[in-house]
Formats: sequence, structure tokens, C-alpha cells
Amino acid sequence: MRLRSVTLAMGVAAFVAAVAILGGVVVFDVGRWLAFPIAVISLLVALNVLARRRGARDRGETPDPERRAPVPIPGTDLSATVTEFRSEYERRLSPSTRIREGLSDAAVAVLTRFRGLSEVEARERVEEGTWTDDPHAAAFLAPELDPPKRSLRERLTGRLASETRFREGVRRTAAAVAAVGYGGTDDRGELPAYGGATGSGTAPRTDSSVVEGVVERASRETGHWTGIGVIALAAIGIGTFAESAAVVMAGAVGIGYAAVADALEAPTPEIEVERTPSETSPEPGDEIAIEVEVRNESGRFLPDLRIVDGVPPGLAVTEGAARLGTALRPGEEVSFEYTVTARRGTHEFDPVLVLTRDLSRSVEREFLVGAETTLVCEPVLRPIAAGVPLRQTAATFSGRLTTDEGGSGTQFHSVREYRRSDPLNRIDWNRHARTGELATLEFHEERAAKVLVLVDARESCYVAPGPEAPHAVDRSVAAAGRIAATLMADGDTVGLAAIGPVDDRGEGDDQCWLAPGSGHTHRARFQELLATHPQFSTIPPGGSRRWIPQIRRIHRRLGGDTQVVLLSPLSDRAAPHIVRWLEARGHAVTVVSPDPTAGDTTGRRLASVARRLRRFDLQREGVPVIDWRGDESIDEAFARVGATGGGVR
Amino acid sequence: MSGEEAADTDDEDLEEIDAADPDAAGREATRRPTTIDGGVAAGSAVLAAAAAAYGSLPAFGLALVGASLLALGLLYGRRPAVDVAGLLLFVGVLAGGFVGDSVEATLVGTVACVVAWDLGQCAIDLGEQLGREADTTRLEAVHVASSVLIGVVTVSAGYALYLVAGGGQPAAALVLLLLAAALVTVGLGARRSRPSGRSRSAHRSHR
Repeated sequence: MRLRSVTLAMGVAAFVAAVAILGGVVVFDVGRWLAFPIAVISLLVALNVLARRRGARDRGETPDPERRAPVPIPGTDLSATVTEFRSEYERRLSPSTRIREGLSDAAVAVLTRFRGLSEVEARERVEEGTWTDDPHAAAFLAPELDPPKRSLRERLTGRLASETRFREGVRRTAAAVAAVGYGGTDDRGELPAYGGATGSGTAPRTDSSVVEGVVERASRETGHWTGIGVIALAAIGIGTFAESAAVVMAGAVGIGYAAVADALEAPTPEIEVERTPSETSPEPGDEIAIEVEVRNESGRFLPDLRIVDGVPPGLAVTEGAARLGTALRPGEEVSFEYTVTARRGTHEFDPVLVLTRDLSRSVEREFLVGAETTLVCEPVLRPIAAGVPLRQTAATFSGRLTTDEGGSGTQFHSVREYRRSDPLNRIDWNRHARTGELATLEFHEERAAKVLVLVDARESCYVAPGPEAPHAVDRSVAAAGRIAATLMADGDTVGLAAIGPVDDRGEGDDQCWLAPGSGHTHRARFQELLATHPQFSTIPPGGSRRWIPQIRRIHRRLGGDTQVVLLSPLSDRAAPHIVRWLEARGHAVTVVSPDPTAGDTTGRRLASVARRLRRFDLQREGVPVIDWRGDESIDEAFARVGATGGGVR
Repeated sequence: MSGEEAADTDDEDLEEIDAADPDAAGREATRRPTTIDGGVAAGSAVLAAAAAAYGSLPAFGLALVGASLLALGLLYGRRPAVDVAGLLLFVGVLAGGFVGDSVEATLVGTVACVVAWDLGQCAIDLGEQLGREADTTRLEAVHVASSVLIGVVTVSAGYALYLVAGGGQPAAALVLLLLAAALVTVGLGARRSRPSGRSRSAHRSHR
């Protein structure tokens, strides 16, 4: 503040002096004695300006609403992944010891499962280092074993790649662990990278709040012209010293810009935004054109508008740009258009982000403009050709199961004596014609199965094998619709439920539940729930919920003879417990598991090993698990299971 | 199922969504400097270099280095490069003006180098905020017009002052007048601070 007053006072003094000289009151000539200090000071100040400019800049940053909300890849955190193999609780260990012990447990786990060893034998082999062909991996887990000498070349390249011995050991051991056992898909031949890039954690949206009208969010000085005044002063000073009119005038131009930069204010954009999608209830995969119209409602000229539309986090822009830079005269209207690809779910648009500046670009203000639009995209309920591989157990009747009991049906069972009130179409008229006796035909009775499709939508299930790939919950929900369609087409009754956070506020017990049923209304309700229920949201939930109370509630509502088809990526330890919990209470469970794992880093490869172990353990307990790989459609996965005959009725 | 035939036609659509689709994650803005602002900035830099060349050859060389640096800064979106380029251009123009002693050429050169610096920054800002794919034609046209307009008005006023005050009067008066204008502007430039931050009074709820 004081600096400002001093500068202003000096300015006024200079003006008065100039007028005095012009008026001939004072006779004064600029000598070198005055010009020299002015020039030197100006030059010093000018040099200082460049340094100050660095911090003076402040510009609004825009998010990337064009992208979908990112979900993690399982196993991105290595030390968290290795604890998956531990049975007891974690002791206080250093990170490197924890990783080493975790890997050792992982090796024992795969050896006991896939090599048929007992726990003691497996541990012995790991300690002796005879469990794998890779000497580096063997030595990494065996304390007595010396690692093989590395050649000079290896040492040099290792040093160059800044690879420590520990890291190499981890990588080789993880690869050796992954190579044990069935599958073979993990046998990629190459070593996984030690660590991967962790994705950006921020949700790509303009703002998560609901906004009405125009709301100011921030205001800042951009520092666009910072320093021009001082540079201009320096030029004037140098010009004075050098007695060059041209240089002095060049400085004067800078003063003009500096004056304009400080004179203007950024206006409040009284604008109205209207969004028109080409379709509000599209099918998954449809391309929807979104037209956004922006109109200046104020009587002022808006010289600088930078607009970013609030594309919902569940949708991705595939063509065009959801952004616009424009200027609007009063009452003028402009529009822009872009294309999104529809995905299953309810998608609410976020408010539009508007950055506005004054004509000189030195002040920037940030606004949110409300414009509500909702797209509801219901999944297509198309039956799967291969059929759903349900369980056939003593307690339940699956699908169009031909039972051993006689009754109505299509397949011949037996002939019995006629009883009164038997339906006419079941009477054996041939026999009646031959012998005159009345007899009744019995057919194998067919019973419809009662199936509950249960979607695992807990927070840990929002995982995908890559940043572009659809996550496990999206795949599960899509498959849930198709499984239900298949079963309903076969005449079975199908219900729907989910385990997972209900919503952020955590209010109420509005957990998804649709009792097994059939018919057109039921089918429509099923489809609507898959698209709109918050538990099936395509955006990862904020928090987690305990699953035990939720599964209890489902169990209480569920009839005793109902089968369960559980859709779960089996990405954490709790998932198999849910299966066992249901099995223990008499429900036959079939697990359909979309594979969310990748194999490019050690952590990710170990996560896929952990999932394989869970799958294997469940199958060993008699629960069929259908592994649905990321590059397959659900039809292919079911057809593959049908061809190998595993768990098919 | 009744709609089975119709549903089969959607097969390809669904497969596309089921499997990993490279475009599925969305097209991110490329965040590169925009073309119109950038192009005009480069053009202005060339004009500034030409004005410097009117004075002397070494000045032209200096301005040419500035112009190339500006082009590089615009290509890769580097702000410090544009700043340094602007300063180099200005020094080049000043040197040209000093040697050539042509007030007119210096004035044109100065405006050209300020325009180049201003629009160069605008191009980078716009690129970072909206990206090159977005339609920014109208906004960039306003940028170019406003930048040039300020320059033209200032040069007219400054040149008039030069003709009036410079004609026969002591040079001290001219210098002191300009100095007065400069000091007052810089003094006022310490702009009153405004309340900033997030005001969320009108927000209904969080979802």
C-alpha cells in the first residue's frame, strides 16, 4: 500500500514538473546526472520483473469431464496385495520384509493348490529353494541360498536401469508364482514391471453439486500483463539516458497497455445454458449428439467466455469437444455439439463451468451455470444363446428341469388308472378305443427354477483391467440383465438383489430387491432397476458398507429353494465369504466372475494370482465359478463353460 | 422372447461395449495452444523483427532469435519461453530504434511485439483450458482485435504527444510527462484486492 502511494506521489510530482517546464515557469534540462540513475534503476527493476512473473500467474484450470470416472486396477499397491495371501493379521513389519513374507505365502498358497503339496512340504520347498526353476526367485525367498552371480553385463545394465537387487527379486518371484498352476494365461514369458503409474485420483467432472442459475466459484487476477508497466518504465529511462526519442516512445506504448490492463473488470456472465440430447433414453452403445445452446441474457457484451460442459462422469465423449470459447453480444446465442456413447445407467449432467475474463484478460472469474439433463440408458435384455449354467441339486429344481414326478408336461412318464377330475386331454384315448377302459397319461412334471441374480457392487468391485476397460460392476450388471432374460425366456422366475453401498448419504434401507417373478411387468421392472438403482451406479461409490447385514436381509426375504447366481469379480477376500455364507444356508450358488485383473506389474500379476486362488478354492468346495475374461463377451464365456461341461445342468 | 430378432441387430454395439474399446475412455482435450491466436502471435513476431531490421542488422538478429523462441514456445505450450521471447523482441526493437532513430518504425515494432507476447500467452491459456479441438474462433477473433486496438490507440496518442511536446520544447518535458503517466499507471496497477474463493450459497445439495 505504501509503495503504491509513493509511486502515485512521484507520478503527480513528475506531471507537475512537466507542466511547469512546458509553461516556461522553470527552465530545466535533463542532464546526464539525472538520466543516469533513472536508467540504472529502471534496468534493475525490469530484470527483477521476469523473476516475479513466475509466481504472479494464476489461471483457472479446467477438468476433463470428457473422460469417464477412473477406477483402479487391482494390485496397483504391491504391499497391500501381498497381504492378501496372509491368513493371520499383519504384524509390524518393514515394507521389504512384508513384501518378502507375502511373496513367500503366495508361493506356498499356489504350491498347495496347484502342485498338490501339503502346507509343510510347500514351506520346506520354498525354504530350500526347490520350488521354481528360476534361481533368482528361489534365492529371493530362501535365506540360506546365495543368488547366482550376475555377469558383468547384467550388473551394468541393472545399474543403468537403477534396478536394485530387491526389486529384481520381487519381479522374478512374482513371475514364478504366477507361472505355477493351471490357466497358463499368466505365462506371458516376460517379467512384470516393478511398479506402475498410479492413475489420477480426481474425478473428471466440473462440479459434483447441483447448481441453479449462475453461481460464482472463484475470482482471480491472471497476471497476464504483470511487468509490462515496469518494462515500459525501463525503456523510458534508457531512452532518456540515451537521448533517443524512439526508445522513449516505445516505452510509452507499454504504458498504454498497462493502463488498459488495470482499467477493466470481468463481467458476471448472465447466461442461460440449454442442453438438448438427441435421445433421452438410448440403448447402450448408441451415439447421442448433445447440443448445447448458450444465450447472453444480460444487456452487456461478454468479451471472453470459456465454457466447459459438465459431461456426466459415467459417459465419455467420442466425437467433437464439450468446450467452447466465444464472445457474446447482448441477447446473442451460440451453440456447440458433441457426441457421447451411451452406457448403461442413469447419467445426470453436472453444471456447466464458465470462465470469464475482461477484454484485457487480466481478471478471471469462475462460474457454475446450472443446466439439468438426465439420460437413462437401460440395458438390453437379450437372452444368451448358450443358456445359463445353473446348479442342479437335490434341494432345488433348476430351470426346465424334468423331475421324476408324474404330472403335466411334454415327456412321457407313465400311465395310471383314471381318476375323476383328470383333465380330458390327458386321457389315453387310444387305449379307450381299443379296450374301452379309461386311463390317464402321466408326463414328467417340469418345474421352473427360482433364481436370484445377486450383483456384488461393493466398493472393491469397482476395478478394471485398464484405464479404458469397463469395470467389473458395469460388466456384472450388463450380464445380470442378460442372464435374467435367458432364464425368463426359459420360464424360470428371476429376482434381483445387490450388495454394496446404497448411496453417499447412507440413508434408509433402500437396498435393491426384486423378488423372483416372471411376466412382462416384472421384466420391465428388472430392466429399470438395472438402469436406475443407485447400487448399480457406474460411478464408484464414495464409501463402503458392511455386507453381512445386507446379505442377511436378502436371505430373510429369500425362499429356501432359491438358487443364487452371484456376479462378482472376486477381487477381495470378502467375496468368497459371501458365497460360503449363502451356501451354508442352503442356497446353491453359481459364481459368474468378470476378470478385472491385469498382469503388467508385479502387484497386478499377484492380484490375478490371488483371484485365481479364490476361484480355485470355491470350485474345490463345489461351487461352479465361471471365469469371464476381459476380452470375452458373456456369450463366449458361457459357451466355453457349456463346451467343457463344467457345472452345466 | 418376442424381440429377439430385433435385438440381434444390436449385437455388434454390445460387443463393442463389452470388450475394451480404445475410444471408450473418452477423448481428452489435447491442451495444445490454439491456432488463430498462435498464428497471429507468430506473424506479429515477424513484423516486430522486420521493424527491428529497419534500424540495424544486429537488432534484427536479436529479434529473430526472439521470434524463433516464440514459435517454439507456442509449439510446446511453454509460458517462460514466450516471456523471454517477448523481452528479446522488445530489446531488438529498442536497439533498432536507437540505431535507426525512426520513431514510426519503433512504434509499429513495439506494438507488434506486445501483440505477439499477449496473443502467445492467450493461445497457451486457451489451449490449456479448452484445447485445440474446441471451437474458439469467436473468442480468438476478439483477442486479436482487442490486442491490436489497444496498440493502435496508444500509438496514436503517444505519437500525437511526441509531435506536440517534441516540437521545439525541451525533451525533459516529454520524458517527465511519460514518466508521470507510467508512475501513475504502475501505482494504480497495485489493484485493489478482491474477495476470492468459493462461494457456495446457492448450491442445493451434494450428490
